[in-house]
Amino acid sequence: MSVTYIDAIHQAQRDLLAERDDVFLYGQDIGGFGGAFKATKGLLEEFPGRVMDSPISEDAMVGMAIGAAISGMRPIVEMQFADFSSIAFNQIANHAGTHYYRTGIPVPITVRLPCGGTPGSGPFHSQMVETLYAHYPGIIVATPATVSDAYHLLKESVEIDDPVVFCEHKFLYRWLKTTEIDPEPLPLGMARITRPGKHATVVTYSAMVHEAVRAADRLAKEGWEIEVVDLRSVKPLDMDTVIASVARTGRLLALGEAFPWGGVTAEVVSRVVAEGFHLLDAPPLRLNSKDTPIPYHPDLWAAHRPTPESILEKLRELLNL
Amino acid sequence: MPQVPIIMPQLGESIAEARIIRLNIAVGDSVVADQEIIEVETNKAMMGVTTLCGGTVTEIRAEEGVEYAVGSLLGILEATEEEISRTGAPTMGEQGEPGLLDEGEEGNLHFRQTEQSYEEPKLVEPSVRGLPVPAGMKGAHYISPRMRARMDELGLREADISAIAGSGAGGRVTVEDLEQFLEYISDWPDSTASPMRLAVADAMRRSWSRPLASVGLPVVLDPVLEHRSRQNPKPGLTLYVLRAFAIALSEQPATAGFLIGEKVVHPRAYDIGIAVQVEDGVVVPVLRNVDQLRVPELAEEYGQLVRQARNRKLTPEQAQGGIATVTNFGTFGLKWGTPIPLPNETLILGLAAGIKQPRWSEEVGAFVPVTETEICLTFDHRVVDGGGAGLLLQRIGALLQSPEKL
Amino acid sequence: MESPSASVPITSSEIDADLIRRTLRVMIISRTLESKLSSLYKAGKIVGGVYLGTGQEAFSASLGCCLDQGKDIFAPLIRDQAGRTGFGEPLIEATRTYLGSALGPMRGRDGNIHRGRPAERRPAMISHLGTSVSVVAGMLMARRMKGELLEVVGATCVGDGATSTGAFHEGLNLAAVEKLPIVVLVADNQFAYSTPRERQFACENLVDRARGYGVTGREVDATNLLECLTVVHEAVKAARAGEGPQMVVGKLLRLCGHGEHDDASYVAPELKDSKLGRDCLEIGIQQVVEEGLATADEVELWKKEAAEEVQEAVANAQTDPGPDPYRDDWRAFSSKGINS
Repeated sequence: MSVTYIDAIHQAQRDLLAERDDVFLYGQDIGGFGGAFKATKGLLEEFPGRVMDSPISEDAMVGMAIGAAISGMRPIVEMQFADFSSIAFNQIANHAGTHYYRTGIPVPITVRLPCGGTPGSGPFHSQMVETLYAHYPGIIVATPATVSDAYHLLKESVEIDDPVVFCEHKFLYRWLKTTEIDPEPLPLGMARITRPGKHATVVTYSAMVHEAVRAADRLAKEGWEIEVVDLRSVKPLDMDTVIASVARTGRLLALGEAFPWGGVTAEVVSRVVAEGFHLLDAPPLRLNSKDTPIPYHPDLWAAHRPTPESILEKLRELLNL
Repeated sequence: MPQVPIIMPQLGESIAEARIIRLNIAVGDSVVADQEIIEVETNKAMMGVTTLCGGTVTEIRAEEGVEYAVGSLLGILEATEEEISRTGAPTMGEQGEPGLLDEGEEGNLHFRQTEQSYEEPKLVEPSVRGLPVPAGMKGAHYISPRMRARMDELGLREADISAIAGSGAGGRVTVEDLEQFLEYISDWPDSTASPMRLAVADAMRRSWSRPLASVGLPVVLDPVLEHRSRQNPKPGLTLYVLRAFAIALSEQPATAGFLIGEKVVHPRAYDIGIAVQVEDGVVVPVLRNVDQLRVPELAEEYGQLVRQARNRKLTPEQAQGGIATVTNFGTFGLKWGTPIPLPNETLILGLAAGIKQPRWSEEVGAFVPVTETEICLTFDHRVVDGGGAGLLLQRIGALLQSPEKL
Repeated sequence: MESPSASVPITSSEIDADLIRRTLRVMIISRTLESKLSSLYKAGKIVGGVYLGTGQEAFSASLGCCLDQGKDIFAPLIRDQAGRTGFGEPLIEATRTYLGSALGPMRGRDGNIHRGRPAERRPAMISHLGTSVSVVAGMLMARRMKGELLEVVGATCVGDGATSTGAFHEGLNLAAVEKLPIVVLVADNQFAYSTPRERQFACENLVDRARGYGVTGREVDATNLLECLTVVHEAVKAARAGEGPQMVVGKLLRLCGHGEHDDASYVAPELKDSKLGRDCLEIGIQQVVEEGLATADEVELWKKEAAEEVQEAVANAQTDPGPDPYRDDWRAFSSKGINS
């Protein structure tokens, strides 16, 4: 019996629809069709009237969700790809993100973004967009890397009163499985030590957690113990766990799949240097995707993003500094 | 009657000033609240300035055709208390003189309505010429912040970790290397270094950062020993050497100079230090004006200082300000040595043991016994060369042959 | 004398004398308030922008007064002071927001016309035009899902410029697909800042777009109070009856600058002199007096009362404290445990 990452997301939505009257789902092709990734398969049949097909109007989808949320509902908006959320950027960042600060009324919307690359998906079906939303005040950005986190963080995202951008990774949808969803959830805002170590820390999130673990396993054969920290959410950012890890190991590699300018890896490094300078035995390093749009060809794509090989190489560089 | 200021309003987001087109009022006119009294032009539009309350115009400071900054005082009107409280208009007393910031008041530039347009800074000359540290050196030899923190925690200095081979890039010592080294020495027998030991360690480490060299000269001690035996009380042998040293230095001040950058700082006074061995270390009291006082005159203070030093009762002032030091290790029977100068001095003169030696006497035509010692000078080779050191020693040796003049 | 801010449930199918009188009074109050805001701005008492609805009062007030304050939703835009007053927004909320009071609905965190009380069905606008349409749509959808949509109408206003935005297009389209009881007033006042309508859209009349969205479109001479009331009332009634989204395009001329920092010198004098450039307030007063719905003296009294009401709202707001940057909690999250 195995549960995949997409199963967990499906299950979470199903449980939410069953447990709460105020949840409804809005997105393109999510009704009878069950969604482009089948995240909502069968849910319309089970919960009639609460799983709606929207027009291709990302701005209006989120605007509508904001209106519904301030009227007592808890909408989940599914964007077909994170890349298309740029159309809704204004409503998410300028409307939902500012609403509580300006009016005192929170906006409990959850916007689900299928993020990240898969071979052949190309520049507009592969992006990691967490940085854009984390930058704006008032928005929570969740980036689950495990099946259990996909389940529990989605539920918690809907239950929280603030707007949440839920970045689910497409590659993990069917590739990542577990035997059962962990009954003990870790709350939003806490990072997890996926792999304990002592020579260096890799801080990362989403699909890169698994690539980091594979790189760490290879280095273990050479006697290096690499600690891997899974952030679980990039905003809020659990610096306590990160700093404690760097205190243990003295070396930091911030790893992410997003583009290299700025972003989560830059934020982690800058905070570690500011708050934990005395803990560093070597300059902190970053590894991200290349600074180009995401290429289509699988060979180019594989070289564009960090892989266990490139992570290993970077870790070697870090360990030798 | 209270006075209400008429100020240039902020008529648009990036507007910093406006030009007066027409003044629709004159001094003495009566106005009502919300009356447009002045027409102005911004770079976007023609606008009006309106009154906050009714009253009488008492002063007009603005001129037609002239530009005024946002916040400038354009005029003043007088209004009744009642009108002011009805409209909430500010009065001159409350606002002070609008249009000027209090001296030293910074305020948020964005909202500073009372400033003339802000002149952006011109191109500037760099204040630091030449980088103090070479930029872009990959794998440069450095001590990491974590290493520093650990060293501070353990009270270690860079000299302390010189024993450790570094495994990091550029051969640097990493925290791991340090921890392994500490682990390695952890089961060796050890004792705790006293504060005196640490102070000497620090001074010697700092001194050693210079290129030091040593030269020695044999000197016949008999004249001094003979002169000394006829004195009562007997002055220390070291005191004669101190005197000769001071006189020789006063003849060549640059030899005792201290190098800072491009400057050689010469001695102001010939205050010479005396190295005194104490338990687990050395202290150096300083004898003052040794070039100007003779041995009998110095003897009492000399004795006092040495006693105090041995009893560890020296004040900090007594150990400061020397320009060179004499150390007598002859008391241990040593024939020569390479003492290390104090970190703030260029020279140290070592006195070895006096030993009866056979010496060829030309006059007698045979070997005659003499008591001879080796005086050793260690010097900072940046300031003094072998030649200068040699000449200095020769002069000291010569002076010691006429102890009655010292 | 009835208070113009009192809630008046619309039960009759025709517009009645009370509605007309009330609407005119609301227009007078709105004009008076805005005139005062303009003076305050030109006297340097207001920081930032001041946006007036001069010339649009009849159109906006008609909507505000035809809506049911007890259950309808109204998301106003920048020139809807009259609509706001008609819908029950207290004047002090306007003066407090403009004068930077910490006690206003936005508490200093937003200003001028960016104000509202979302929990009381009066959403606060953001500056990006057209975004309110989908938000009102969402508020209506929530009610539908909770079974509370019966007889509720949601309304919002845009200008001719806003109809160019993607947000407007997406919002109205979505509202139409979802068949929501939304009334969208489009005030075609000929200009978006300095941009004339020829540079804004290529269709003859904005109301032509209604057909494209699958919504009911109506057009009205927005300088004519009685016409405004008739048409807007009809539109609100149709929405309430479940006939789907209603677009009402009002034709008028903007009689003020884009903001009070703008003197609108780009507006051709011919426009100002044309029928389009007439002042709806003057026409409204004329109509009301001619129809015998109020006497000239009553109108004068309303003007006097408006001036007093405005003066009080200004005076009270002026004595309020501003926000304290040292005491502000500087938090954008409502969840207590969440920090950046």
